[in-house]
Amino acid sequence: MNSRTNKGPINQARAIPRQHLVAGVCLLALLVYPVVNPWQPYPQGVMLLGFLLAIQASSWNIISGYAGYISLGHSMFLGLGSYTVAILALRWGVNPLWLAPLGGVTAVLVALVIGSVVLRTRGHAFVIITIAMLLAAQVFAVNFKGLTQGSDGITLPLPFWDADYQNIPFYYLFLGLLVLTVLFTAKIRRTKFGTGLVAIREDEGKAASIGVNTTRFKVIGYAASAFFIGVAGGVYAYYLTFLNPVGAFAILGSVVIVLAALIGGKGTLYGPVVGACIVQLAGEAATVYGGGSQTRVLLFGAALVAVVLFMPAGLLPTVEARWLKRHPAEVEFTDQAGALGRSPATTRERALDDVAVSVDDNLTQDEVLLEVRGASKRFGGLVAVDNASLTVRKGSITGLIGPNGSGKTTLFNIITGGMSADSGEVCLQGQRIDGMPPWQRGHLGLGRTFQLTRLFKDMTVQENVVAPLPDSRWRTMFADAVSGPEAARAGELLDIVGLRRFAGERAGALSYGQQKLVELAQVLMLEPRLILLDEPAGGVNPSLLGRLTEVIRELNQRGITFLVVEHNLPLVLALCDPVVVFSRGRPIAEGPAAMIRQDPDVLDAYLGDDWRSPAAGEPSDAVQVATPREGRR
Amino acid sequence: MAELVQALVLGLLIGGVYALMASGLALIFGVMRIVNISQGAFLILVAMFTWWLWRATGIDPILASVVTTPLMFGFGWVLYRLVISRVRDQSASMSVLLTFGLALVIEGVLNVVAGNRFRSATPSYFEESFRAGPISLPKTQVYGFVAAVLVLAALYVVLTRTWTGRAIRATSQNPSGAALVGVGAAGTAALAFALGTATTGVGGSILSVLYPFFPASHYDWISRLLGIVVLGGMGSLPGAMSGALILGLAETLTATYGSLRWSTLVFYLVIMVVLLFRPQGLFGTRLREDAA
Repeated sequence: MNSRTNKGPINQARAIPRQHLVAGVCLLALLVYPVVNPWQPYPQGVMLLGFLLAIQASSWNIISGYAGYISLGHSMFLGLGSYTVAILALRWGVNPLWLAPLGGVTAVLVALVIGSVVLRTRGHAFVIITIAMLLAAQVFAVNFKGLTQGSDGITLPLPFWDADYQNIPFYYLFLGLLVLTVLFTAKIRRTKFGTGLVAIREDEGKAASIGVNTTRFKVIGYAASAFFIGVAGGVYAYYLTFLNPVGAFAILGSVVIVLAALIGGKGTLYGPVVGACIVQLAGEAATVYGGGSQTRVLLFGAALVAVVLFMPAGLLPTVEARWLKRHPAEVEFTDQAGALGRSPATTRERALDDVAVSVDDNLTQDEVLLEVRGASKRFGGLVAVDNASLTVRKGSITGLIGPNGSGKTTLFNIITGGMSADSGEVCLQGQRIDGMPPWQRGHLGLGRTFQLTRLFKDMTVQENVVAPLPDSRWRTMFADAVSGPEAARAGELLDIVGLRRFAGERAGALSYGQQKLVELAQVLMLEPRLILLDEPAGGVNPSLLGRLTEVIRELNQRGITFLVVEHNLPLVLALCDPVVVFSRGRPIAEGPAAMIRQDPDVLDAYLGDDWRSPAAGEPSDAVQVATPREGRR
Repeated sequence: MAELVQALVLGLLIGGVYALMASGLALIFGVMRIVNISQGAFLILVAMFTWWLWRATGIDPILASVVTTPLMFGFGWVLYRLVISRVRDQSASMSVLLTFGLALVIEGVLNVVAGNRFRSATPSYFEESFRAGPISLPKTQVYGFVAAVLVLAALYVVLTRTWTGRAIRATSQNPSGAALVGVGAAGTAALAFALGTATTGVGGSILSVLYPFFPASHYDWISRLLGIVVLGGMGSLPGAMSGALILGLAETLTATYGSLRWSTLVFYLVIMVVLLFRPQGLFGTRLREDAA
């Protein structure tokens, strides 16, 4: 990437969006409130606890809202922060407020340890462990008397300021922390890290295939979601001046966090804050007018059930959806001009040149880029890939054809790391890559598209294209995804496939063929040397297909190698050279397209032995309408 | 030596009871991919009901499961039809949140109805033990174990020898395939959920005798049960059995040779170690994910 030209953000600079304006006004009102109305300790107390809840819900939003890994034990970090600060403050004789950041550090460290154990895999272990760890922390705090004074609890000195100021300093402290937290989560969402987290929520396997180191992203996301809660915990300890295990590690604390984020809208910026206000006020009202704190469990439980059943998206997204329904945006999805139309030739040329792989001088054109040696994969008794070997030469568009169930997609998965082979080797430019996680293969320049497109449907087209990470550097991970070079680059890539004007749309709203093109642009963001296309023509209309093949050819001329699985034989024969034929898990023929279409083994594999019998004389015609006849699958 | 044997046998007895309690969780996850967080609350609900039944009629608490099990079966079926089935098509995290909310509702209701205090059913044999040489085993533990094993055996028979059981296992392996051969996914899921809930009918009755409980005890129990199924491999019944035995043994051994206070922490420690070295659990298998 030598000449990334910055053409400015894709989205035209707009006025400050309405939501930020509203948030600013609310913030101002909250800042002024204690000054205007200073002698009201009760509402101030309620509000500062609301801020505390909002801090926790916003932080929770990073791992559970963005990345979609629900934590039911997030109040643990509040307790950890509280205990860290309280213990250190007493030992060192320092005011707890100075030590509050250390509470955040402890929370982050604990999150890193738990996360790196639990978040290495996908699935349900995480949510389970978060509850278990919260309860474990409680047991620990009760039993580790030397450190925590057990069930007796820890008492801290009273605040140093004059009692006349009441809780006003805490009010501002929590409000300040809340503002920092919201800015922090907003900042994360704007980086490629944030885009990656959302990508993980939408489709974790796909995220890994575009260079997102899912383990690292999740663990860092979990740690990031712990920090401000830990800091707030330190301040909270000083506010309470008393700590005990049951109070500090209360499961009900986690319940309200989840509830607040869910009611407001998880995954949105302001949703958790709005939700926290609602939950705090409702909870307070229930305590005052209801039957005391005993009924809170029932109330929160019922609220949780009701929200999940009747408003799972949360308040803000629901309101937004209503608003959009009433004020529909003017985008013509059915019009194909966008996809087929040409952007100014110069822009396209430059964008294409940017994609070009720098040709290493010491490498000849005939060099082997990808080599698979003796790969096998079994699913129970079914041998999907059977001791298969395959070479892809640099600069070629290699076609891979074969009947359904012949193991082509499984071979793709073995090459890209979606699944591991039982035996065999995969080398990219002479380097062994089997055994590497998918994202590392992506960083080495291996990209793929999927048979059924797997775009992140709830992200915009722009975000989809920005999401891939071409390398594992931290700088790339925290690069700006909304404006700046990365976003500009995504715009150029969308130019190549002619879909820039859809940049701001939800990817799921695009037609299937357009999604295929976006997926190609997405893969290009990886700066790939080799792109594996899994049935690029499937479900794409002829005019878009023409565009697709044109793009493939242009990219190939600029140094990108392709391996294409495709059933549209005329397309394969026109586009690919050489063509490899797969049958029953291994290649049975390889050679130039013209040769392949005459090969009797190939025709046997595709059509069965009786293909010769019908009157249709020319095998090449027959091949075009071939319906694979494979008995076993 | 006698101490060790005693600890091992006791661990086995406790493990058997754990196995029964966890089997419902594993069954429900296996068929529906739903982590039923409210399973612990079901246990406490049954324990509370059993306690009340025992106080009111004098019926033996463990035998009371004859009443509670069908009740819980019906409860589970209705709950699935009315509530759980609504989140079937949503992401897995929503079902977690939903069942978590249900657990809170049950806890809240018990709080209001029964009050927030410890209870324990104490039948006449409560403090008696079977003695074999130097080993003494509390009768409650032995009876609880026997009941648990009987129910597990019955569950095994239902799952392997009846059409319903085959339907449930078929759905857990391949829902769309099962639907193609005439096994309705929704009906089967409701049955599986009801069956999984019914196991808490027995489990809760045993619990009421073996452990003191109060409405909020369900957190403690669900985290134990979840630990067991994570250890065994989510959704695997044999996994849940062996996970339960291992953790039962680990718990009693720590209580015997270490201290009772730390025995719950051992639980969590074992889980973390297992996840570190074998993330899919002892019996979990990774299925192919590419084939839709």
